[in-house]
Amino acid sequence: MSAIASLFRNDYGADGFRTCSVTGLDVHRSVENYVKLFGLTAVVALAVGGSFAFSVAMTRWEFVGLLDPGSYYTHLSIHAWNLLVFWMVFMEIAVLYVGGPMVLGRALPLRRLATVGWITMVVGAVGVNASIWLAEVPNEAPLLTAYVPLPVTPWFYGTAIVFLLGATIAAIPFFATIWSETRDSRRTLPLVAFGAFITGIIAVEAILGGIAAFAYALAWRVDLIAAVDPGIYRQLYWIVGHGTQQINLLAMITVWYFLTHVVGGAVVISEKVSRTAFILYLFFINLGAAHHLLVDPGVSAGWRIWNTSYAFYGAAFASMIHAFAIPAGIEAGRRRRGQGGGLFGWLTSAPWRNPVFASTIFSIILFGFLGGITGVVMGQIQVNMTWHNTLATVGHFHATVALGTTLAFFGLVLFVIKTMFRRDFVSDTLATAIPYAYGGAMSVATLMLMYAGILYGVPRRTAEVVRNIPGSEFNLSAAIPIFMIFGVFALLAILSGVLFVGVSVGSLLLGDRLPDGDDGGMLPEGGLHADGGEPIHAVELRGTFTLCLVFLGVFAAVYVLNWYLLTQLWSIGA
Amino acid sequence: MSNPLEDPDDDWWNSPINRRESIWLGLAGAWSLGIFTWMAGFTQFGDQNPIGTTYDVDPDRYQERVGEYKEAAEETEDGLVPPGDDVYVGAMRFNWDGLPVVLEAGREYDVHLGAYDVQHGFSIRPEENLNKQINLQVFPGSEWVIPMTFDEPGTYHIVCNEFCGQGHRTMHGRFTVVEG
Repeated sequence: MSAIASLFRNDYGADGFRTCSVTGLDVHRSVENYVKLFGLTAVVALAVGGSFAFSVAMTRWEFVGLLDPGSYYTHLSIHAWNLLVFWMVFMEIAVLYVGGPMVLGRALPLRRLATVGWITMVVGAVGVNASIWLAEVPNEAPLLTAYVPLPVTPWFYGTAIVFLLGATIAAIPFFATIWSETRDSRRTLPLVAFGAFITGIIAVEAILGGIAAFAYALAWRVDLIAAVDPGIYRQLYWIVGHGTQQINLLAMITVWYFLTHVVGGAVVISEKVSRTAFILYLFFINLGAAHHLLVDPGVSAGWRIWNTSYAFYGAAFASMIHAFAIPAGIEAGRRRRGQGGGLFGWLTSAPWRNPVFASTIFSIILFGFLGGITGVVMGQIQVNMTWHNTLATVGHFHATVALGTTLAFFGLVLFVIKTMFRRDFVSDTLATAIPYAYGGAMSVATLMLMYAGILYGVPRRTAEVVRNIPGSEFNLSAAIPIFMIFGVFALLAILSGVLFVGVSVGSLLLGDRLPDGDDGGMLPEGGLHADGGEPIHAVELRGTFTLCLVFLGVFAAVYVLNWYLLTQLWSIGA
Repeated sequence: MSNPLEDPDDDWWNSPINRRESIWLGLAGAWSLGIFTWMAGFTQFGDQNPIGTTYDVDPDRYQERVGEYKEAAEETEDGLVPPGDDVYVGAMRFNWDGLPVVLEAGREYDVHLGAYDVQHGFSIRPEENLNKQINLQVFPGSEWVIPMTFDEPGTYHIVCNEFCGQGHRTMHGRFTVVEG
């Protein structure tokens, strides 16, 4: 107990504030402790969901074929809910508290609500896990979606609503901070706080949709209403199903701006452009919920095209803005300090041994190249016919969430261990290895999922199909080699996840306490703020521009390839 | 100097934008509009669109309709030969009612997709070429009529790719396409 209590202790002044030796922010005890609380809870959810990744991956790798179908769908549901929802949302509440009161140098207001929110979220999360684990015939495992009218226990819908309510309550102290900071002044929020604010709004939209969807299904399961419409449920469900992943996106981008600045010395190259991109997200990103309804009956082509494109790709345009602005921020920051010449010297000379920096950069690159491109391509209604419910879709969202957001959050947790828990890593070598091992292994596993889905049409959500389809001569055994690679790299990715949890927990319990004023090796060379240098708009951003042109080239190649495959098909549709 | 943890300067809106960022904005914007135009245009000139007419139908009524269709169809060793240009597929736990079916290459059929119980996924590919595959969602309560014309004779396999219960993985059906 005392070991845990000591995690929540730091040297604060009489007013409860201390100055962070890395960011220079005035940090109040209340904010810091709640960030720790939500962050630690998130890591617990990561450990639970990650454990189930093992049984899920080892079942899909039919060479091993670990679970029978009776258990597989239960394990898959627990894997999905803990990693796609609980690990993410607990971290995101922590991100809101960092982006709001911590960046603004305030105490956390309404702490009781934060506590009530945390307790409600934990009750909801434990309840969802229990309802999945204890479900009995005729109830089926819900997977992530709990599509009606497949019978799912009403306890599942009920506890999912409790979790969403808890997240809403936990977000209130953040909104209260933003409100009190901006109400009477003409203050313009710092970019990180602004990003967190937009994230919060997107989150509330998603949560309202989720409560509506689950309440609708719950009312049907407890016989308050006689019938339920699968199409309406799907529309409501995907407000939260896709919406939570948009929260992940915005939280991740906010973390990118934050961490590239504090550990990489990045500057904001244009407040106007970056903020406009966040505003585009605010208006358009949630239209992306339609991505899941592109091959559904009953929705018109016009509705699908408008929504899937986020209104003329307004949100994809916004992502491409961040894709330039964030690396350009690093390039500008480092060039102005004279760190690194040539085209990519600023990048190659960056602090790659700092796992916080490496996690963030890998998150940016892998999210963009693997997750972002595939998301837009599969989001075109015609191409979606070849991606929908195949393992390629699973590959896409492992690229966005398991690579992009998870790597960014790995970086953030490691940063919090140094700066808020004030602990040194138990092993710098192991800590440094985390982003390389996890990013590398997970990238290969993700690519194999995409290949299996697109090139062999292997479906998702099934316990076996590649080596055997029971009752049929047919199978997809041509995909076996792909799965041999997938299985090995999925195992390596899971081991890398174990490494992350091990280093994190080990550092918290056994790591040396950092002396006051020690930056723990987090600060960029030359300190956080470098004075002088040429104006940002005049810095030659050649490296970033080149990287972005490569990105656009890959985007175009993947786009053309997918369309080529599609047009080889027989004639379909009116 | 602008950093993301501090309030921006008062004139942040008027700060000049780096030339290369401006160029990138143009490229990204053009690409966005370009792929939108292609997707929207393809519904007009393209041959592969997940577009058809949907009718609301009671699942029991749809099952009856598939039954009537099966009565009218000719039974052969390879499956039903539809009486006209309509092909009815009824998804149910854990079977594709109405399949297998024998179709002619080069002839346009209206494929009717509907379910009797829960949601299913209609996932079809030719045996010879697994990367030619498409996937459509199937609901109880909706009858979705999608025209399809198969150019290549051969066996096309259908599996369910939406989780529909414990026996989900056993749902398999066939289209046999013969020379027209």
